[in-house]
Amino acid sequence: MKRTMTLNLTEAEMSVLERLCEGKGLSKTALVRQALRLYKSVDERLERGEKVFVESADKAEKIELMVL
Amino acid sequence: MKQAIGTIPLFGLESGKFHDAVLFQGVDLATLQGIEASWTPMFDTAAAENRPEDAHWEWAAKALQALQNPLNYEIFGIEADGKTQGMMLVVKGGAKCFSRHPEHPRMPLVYVDFLATAPWNRRGLIESPTYKGVGRVLFMSAVSLSIEEEFAGRVALHSLPGAEAFYRDRLSMTDLGADGDYQNLRYFELSTTQARQLISAWP
Repeated sequence: MKRTMTLNLTEAEMSVLERLCEGKGLSKTALVRQALRLYKSVDERLERGEKVFVESADKAEKIELMVL
Repeated sequence: MKQAIGTIPLFGLESGKFHDAVLFQGVDLATLQGIEASWTPMFDTAAAENRPEDAHWEWAAKALQALQNPLNYEIFGIEADGKTQGMMLVVKGGAKCFSRHPEHPRMPLVYVDFLATAPWNRRGLIESPTYKGVGRVLFMSAVSLSIEEEFAGRVALHSLPGAEAFYRDRLSMTDLGADGDYQNLRYFELSTTQARQLISAWP
């Protein structure tokens, strides 16, 4: 069963959402669904005490990813 | 929860005819007990040289993983003759679900974590397999899920060595080479274009 919600976004937030949807070929619903899954999978790793890193293309810089 | 989502034809190798089978989404205890009771003994008694690469997979643990995280996992099964003919666990969100294909890098996709057909359907394991096409039907379910999720049919997986030819030659997936970060298994992707071609060729 699917449930419906209203999401209030600022003009800037909506603009980012629309740009991402266009770039990924997804509807707003599908994009938010994907974002939620990714957030959850990262959050679960952090909950387990694991660390998530983002590395620059030349591997010179490595930053630990922090989420809410 | 387990739900029938369609009737599909499986080719009976002995009868030479198609037989109705049921495609399920989700899994229940009876299915897992059935797999443990009928698949495991056949894997255990296989000669060492014929023992399948997936014989050690524990479907009960995989099902639990899927049930605990319904946001990211889906599990599919095929039943005929009162027995499970094949199982598949797919991931639809998270780190594995981004394309590496040059046609559409970083686009979202469905990742097939585990796909297995029952031991009695395997030519390498027994002389006269029962059904043909179980793996293909399960794989097409992953393609359908990918379309439903707006991923345009894109599907990825890491293949066990014995299944590489099936994914490369029969399903026309792109072989993107051995993945040093994943037990050196070869990584395959079905691109958007390949998904369209596969669907149009599907009877």
